[in-house]
Amino acid sequence: MLALQLAVTGLQTGALYALTAVGFSLIFGSTRIFHFAHGATFAIAAYFFYFVFQAGFGTVPAILGASAGAIAFGLLIYWLVYVPVQRHEGSFFTVFVASFGVGIAVQNLLGMVFGRGFVTVNTSLSRSSEILPGLYVAPLAWVAIACAIVFLGALHLFLRHTHTGMALRALSDNPELVRIFGLSPQRISAIVFVIGSVLVVPAAIITSATTGLNPAIGHHVMLISLAASIVGGIGSVYGTLLAGLILGLAESMALLFVASQWTEAVTFAILFAFILIRPSGLLGRATAH
Amino acid sequence: MTPVLETRGLAAGYGGRSVISDINVTLNPSEVLCVIGHNGAGKSTMLKTMFGLISPDAGSVHIDGEDVTKLNPRDIAELGVAMVPEGRGVFPSLSVSDIFALGMHAVGVPKAERAERLEWVLGILPAIREFMERPASTLSGGQQQMVSIGRALLPRPRILLMDEPSIGLAPKLFQDLLAPVRKLQQEEGLSILLVEQNVREALKISDRALVVKSGAIAWTGEPEELADNKRLIELY
Repeated sequence: MLALQLAVTGLQTGALYALTAVGFSLIFGSTRIFHFAHGATFAIAAYFFYFVFQAGFGTVPAILGASAGAIAFGLLIYWLVYVPVQRHEGSFFTVFVASFGVGIAVQNLLGMVFGRGFVTVNTSLSRSSEILPGLYVAPLAWVAIACAIVFLGALHLFLRHTHTGMALRALSDNPELVRIFGLSPQRISAIVFVIGSVLVVPAAIITSATTGLNPAIGHHVMLISLAASIVGGIGSVYGTLLAGLILGLAESMALLFVASQWTEAVTFAILFAFILIRPSGLLGRATAH
Repeated sequence: MTPVLETRGLAAGYGGRSVISDINVTLNPSEVLCVIGHNGAGKSTMLKTMFGLISPDAGSVHIDGEDVTKLNPRDIAELGVAMVPEGRGVFPSLSVSDIFALGMHAVGVPKAERAERLEWVLGILPAIREFMERPASTLSGGQQQMVSIGRALLPRPRILLMDEPSIGLAPKLFQDLLAPVRKLQQEEGLSILLVEQNVREALKISDRALVVKSGAIAWTGEPEELADNKRLIELY
């Protein structure tokens, strides 16, 4: 029963990892921007939810607040940081440093406003109940899995069946050709940042109501997103989705063999194994894009 | 006669490095103008600047006498200009039908006209029907070039800018691809600016030619003159 318990927990964690990592992978795959501050988007969404919920406005306003915060941050960092850096032909490394700097600034700002300790949102959905003898599951686990299915399913339909989705895939193939077609790569990139930021919102909200938050949570999220993107295959949204699920499950199932403080090491053991054995990842292209 | 496309003293480059300077080109209605020159002479830069992909350092671009120098590619496309880029102008991860759908959406072809436009292009390039649903990455070089030309024709342009469409293609295939475009030029008055290194094949279909050397126009005149003149042959 312990294995089943860990599998359910792992599936919940994997669903949240998949949502977050797919957002990062989508942004990197389409725009080639190493959006290290994606973790900061997660933290902002989570703290916005926490703030509005604790202020007594209720769940829906809190979800809307978290979404607005994440979208606004994603758009602002794109237009105010990445576009100017790219206009001055900043290198990949310059973009990374700029993004890293913004991530640190957000972490410190959140620490100043909300304090550096852990905070948690208490809802009735967080409380586990015994659904089978010895198997305890909180309703939020099903919410997490349902959110992943709905959001990632919607993303799939969007990418395959809308002109904007096609443009987004086209941007990842060849930005100059996108301009020749008569489309604006900057406008498409802005849309990518909105979608990538929205994808972290359910994960951020559910995390705030399960494991809790601290201002440094963005770093953990970013490391997981990066690991899932590499394991899934750089730029492959579907590979990243799969990798997020695998990493979440592996982290949880590892508790069968190791103590809890070692579970994060499992993620990086898988990452290193992929780098050594299959550097292109699960569904990545064989050569660098 | 007002040229459909004209540049006046056009200069452009990359990162402060000048690539073309003082380019004065006119493209007349229903004309095929061939631009030839060595690798790195500035032919593609010239074409990209005309289409708004590169901002010029000096000079101006005119369409039907109107100054379009500051317009972006989308606005220039709306004026009836289309470009077939160098290399393969397709997105590898998209299917041919997606590429065509995106191409029409991008330049604002009304939804009600899209099916008819598609049929028109498939009438000109019927071989595309056989691989409409295949990802572009699985097509041969010739098929990809055919899709690239088909996509450029979808908005029914008046001016077609073609950047080295013969690259990687056998001369026979190149002529087969150009034949329908040439027909459109003769029957519908399409004006074509063709940048080519495959001089022999390009001159066969050109009304006028110009040679670009080191970023400047070195010669302009009749294709026959160019083909027979040893001094001119050395220029390219």
